[in-house]
Amino acid sequence: MSGPVPSLDRLPGDPRYWYAGLAVLLVAWPLLFGAFWARIGLGALMWIGLAQSWNMIGGYAGYLDFGHGAYFGIGAFAAGIAMAQFGYPFLVGFGLAIVVSSIVSYLVAVPTLRLTGAYFAIATWAFAESIKQTALVTGITGGTFGLSLPRSPDTFVGVPVPFAISETFFYYAMLVLCLATMALTYYLFERHEFGYRVKALRDDQDAAESLGIDTTRVKRQVYVLSCVVAAVFGSVHAWYIVYIHPNDVLAPIITDRMVIMALLGGLGTLTGPVAGGLLVFLLERLSSVFLGSTTFYLPLIGVLIMVTVLFAPSGIIGILRGEVDRDDVRKNVKELGEKFDLL
Amino acid sequence: MSGGNGSKDVPTLSATGIEAGYDRHQVLHGITFESRDGVTCIFGPNGSGKSTFLKTLNGIVPVWDGTVTYGDVDLTGAKPEEIVTHGIATLPQGGGIFGSLSVEENLEVGAFTVDDAAAIGDRKAEVLEVFPALEDKLGQKARDLSGGQQMMVSLGRAMMTGADTFLLDEPSAGLAPRLVDDAFGLIERLVDRGAQVVLIEQNVRAALRLADYVYILAEGEVQFNGPPEDLSEEDELMELYLGL
Repeated sequence: MSGPVPSLDRLPGDPRYWYAGLAVLLVAWPLLFGAFWARIGLGALMWIGLAQSWNMIGGYAGYLDFGHGAYFGIGAFAAGIAMAQFGYPFLVGFGLAIVVSSIVSYLVAVPTLRLTGAYFAIATWAFAESIKQTALVTGITGGTFGLSLPRSPDTFVGVPVPFAISETFFYYAMLVLCLATMALTYYLFERHEFGYRVKALRDDQDAAESLGIDTTRVKRQVYVLSCVVAAVFGSVHAWYIVYIHPNDVLAPIITDRMVIMALLGGLGTLTGPVAGGLLVFLLERLSSVFLGSTTFYLPLIGVLIMVTVLFAPSGIIGILRGEVDRDDVRKNVKELGEKFDLL
Repeated sequence: MSGGNGSKDVPTLSATGIEAGYDRHQVLHGITFESRDGVTCIFGPNGSGKSTFLKTLNGIVPVWDGTVTYGDVDLTGAKPEEIVTHGIATLPQGGGIFGSLSVEENLEVGAFTVDDAAAIGDRKAEVLEVFPALEDKLGQKARDLSGGQQMMVSLGRAMMTGADTFLLDEPSAGLAPRLVDDAFGLIERLVDRGAQVVLIEQNVRAALRLADYVYILAEGEVQFNGPPEDLSEEDELMELYLGL
């Protein structure tokens, strides 16, 4: 089996120093660079985690889930409703996010995972849209007014919270969640027998079944797991952002981002969503900070996706691993040129 | 003919009056079938229902009517993942290689239904004994192997299940013509170890050299069954259904 993070292992010198350096940087980040960069960092960590959650079902299992963002929103509203409507502490909302997203995703899994390819994509997309529309018209979600969460106190289960409830606190919360998601993905998909089952069903479902793999069960397990992870991030996001609205936390762009990040980084790889997540999130933030809008970043992402799909289907990680074949690229460029009469 | 010099006593896989299809479209109209020692071939033109029939044997296509038994075990309506535990392994069309997994991981997936670690080790050794070319390739991704080597992985993976009976869906499909003989040579190695093979093939000429018993399907019905020697007398049938 190949190492999990080839890009770090390949750097000159002892890779342990690089890992140690990375760990120190991650921990010290908000203390070194202040609130603004803590906010950037926590956003990046959240998006890496979300991209990884999509990668579980979309990359490892090969089921293109175009409704994944719904679970981010479900998690956000579970926490929001628990805190704003019933006055429970965040932990109750966090638990509720896990319970509700497991139940909903299982109910969605049973009928939709019978479909494949575009049909699965369309069904999940429609599901997400219906969740958003429902959230817009029901009272408990605040409907079109959205939901304002109570500002969290500076104590948590009676214990004073370090850094109060600040960017720094949420940075560490997202750091823990993101690392937990990475560890879970590494263990389940790269080390555990479960990962073999998932990849086997992606590569050839009939063959997997004929070898005794209950593919229906495995598909449901991956789907529910990936949805619960998205919901967990959603619940913390709601706690952090304090005001949630269906048009924000249930927006289709949330799914789109996860798909783009995983695709650009490298589908079905552990480190792909990290690379893709960082790239897309930072591009968006930078264009918003320096250009004052995110308009420019959308066409840029479009071009990046075209380039990836055409020339490096295994994504950034594929390029780093040297999986991209120069001859293939040349062939694609030539075909494209002929098609458009460019050459 | 290879004629299973079987040291093991492999149960007979038999199907009686199988009717099946997709949605409301009936494909199989009462097929009765019995596997023989060695290689039982199923021939027939495109759309004759060969693949569908094979899929009723391994549980992928549900049976509308009729029964499937293996020895004295009733497999009618059993799921694919149950059927494999009774000793029947399937090689889907194209081999069904898990391209993103290594050769070794492919073999390990084959042993998912086996709990006994010692048995898994023994079988892996057996696979490498039958297909020594895989020894050097264990760490490679299966998708990077040649067509012939992929077929070894596919057969080896099926052996890992501990099956005695192998259902092969057009193993020669997609192979370069000069590799077809090699492919059938690989199947012979399985039979020589006492396995029973049910083989669907378009390449009738090549498969006939291996066949111990032949079924010809057309329009979802059995048109002929008998030893391959009898087939040569049925000129009309040969021409009509097999184009020979």
